[in-house]
Amino acid sequence: MAAIQLDSVSVDFPIYNFSARSLRKQFLRLTTGGALYSQENIVVVKALDSITLKFNHGDRVGLIGHNGAGKSTLLRVLAKIYEPIQGHIHYEGSISPLLNVMLGINHESTGYENIMIRGLFLGLTHRQIRIKLKQIAEFTELGDYLFAPVRTYSSGMQLRLAFAVATCIKPDILLMDEMVEVGDAAFIKNAQAHLNKFIDQSSILVLASHSNATIQRFCNKVVLMEKGRVKYFGSVEEGFKRYEIV
Amino acid sequence: MDDIKEGIFSERGISLDSDCSVPVISFDSKYRLAVTDVYEGLKEWRIWFLLAWQDTKLRYRRSTLGPLWITLSMAVTIYTMGLLYGRLFKMDLSLYYPFLATGLLTWSLISSLLTEGASIFLEAEQFIKQVKQPYSIFVFRMVTKCFIVFFHNILVFIPIILFFNVKLNFHTLFIFLSLAILWINGIVYSVIFAILGTRFRDIVQLIISLVQVVFFLTPIIWSPSVLPERYQYIVKINPFAQFMELLRNPLLGSLPSAYAIFFITIVTLLGFFVSFVVFARYRARIPYWL
Repeated sequence: MAAIQLDSVSVDFPIYNFSARSLRKQFLRLTTGGALYSQENIVVVKALDSITLKFNHGDRVGLIGHNGAGKSTLLRVLAKIYEPIQGHIHYEGSISPLLNVMLGINHESTGYENIMIRGLFLGLTHRQIRIKLKQIAEFTELGDYLFAPVRTYSSGMQLRLAFAVATCIKPDILLMDEMVEVGDAAFIKNAQAHLNKFIDQSSILVLASHSNATIQRFCNKVVLMEKGRVKYFGSVEEGFKRYEIV
Repeated sequence: MDDIKEGIFSERGISLDSDCSVPVISFDSKYRLAVTDVYEGLKEWRIWFLLAWQDTKLRYRRSTLGPLWITLSMAVTIYTMGLLYGRLFKMDLSLYYPFLATGLLTWSLISSLLTEGASIFLEAEQFIKQVKQPYSIFVFRMVTKCFIVFFHNILVFIPIILFFNVKLNFHTLFIFLSLAILWINGIVYSVIFAILGTRFRDIVQLIISLVQVVFFLTPIIWSPSVLPERYQYIVKINPFAQFMELLRNPLLGSLPSAYAIFFITIVTLLGFFVSFVVFARYRARIPYWL
């Protein structure tokens, strides 16, 4: 049974080379972004402020909030990229972050080489990648283009390649920053079905998105964030109602 | 606050203020996490080896000669510089050429380790911010890349061996140990420079300009024997001169001096200690500084 428990997790970002004092006062009045404060002459952004949450097996959580409310930071903390400066996180199950589909795609390398590198980053072994290779190749419908450098691909083709590799694993706790948008009309039907299957396999989904429609389609709970704090955690309808008031 | 109470907090009974002041990572687990990072990084050798190989290959991807350009440009440098400086120093070319070639080959490896070390994490930003990997894999990647380039360069030495009849012997095998020692030093010092370079962006520029100075202070194009007695300390206290001896002597068929080996042992142990402390202390800050 997968679960994530966050216990008063805080994240501060130091901003160096930012010493304009008058500017700082201006920033404090703005509604977007975390709270700025000064600590030993360094300006610090409080990106997450004592977040306590618990996600259980089967939860489909949508993260909503304004720009800079801390959605992406929270995802990166869950993905273990930022180690929190306060509080702790308890995991049951393994994390599969899909924050950027194009991760590690090198434009000068061939499609196959990119599949290899990305596969290793996903934690697969050479053997496992070779087994999946045929399936990935078929799914991308790229054929002989897989032997050509990625820079010769159209942007749609690049996305197909990245998408096919990124979704070839079976995720446990899936973290996504914005839903993946896939290519041309012919491919989209195929890809949608694949994506839905990919997401369904996961035991927990945490998805940050600005699209209300996407959240309503995939999620059964929302976390409303504002200035690095959790404003609301609960049902989707109630969350959106409060989001509109903010 | 009312909103939150309706949510998970009240039912789980977790107070928002609970142990806020206690740091997440205790002193001793910091060191354990650092060891884990290096251990996991070594286990992921496939990733860093592949990335290092890709880095080397990509630089020359669309050229016909490919990575052989590395060899070729080193050959041009060594062969022309040897002719010029050999005449300037009025040295026997058959002695000067092997001396200069081994010096420049070694220096190209050391200087690339120094200059690229500070930007290791800066260049890996896209990986570090998207997926959790041991930070050490990026250090291994860069050091391995520099060694791959070195193994391309070393081909330049072969014609010199044949043409000037360099006496290779049993002592030459020591070069493998020398390279292993340099690899270890490359790793430990790159960790320090990489962390400093991530926090203070000026470090990269600073190292590049210092490397120029070190080039002239180290016996690469000049032999230590041309220095007057009262300036010999320039060689004696220069750690780069010791590394130069460590790699050059075996290639020319003799062993490095006991002094050089002693000096390098101290430098290596110091590097190990400092890099471990720095890495343990600041490892978790790396993504915050990017």
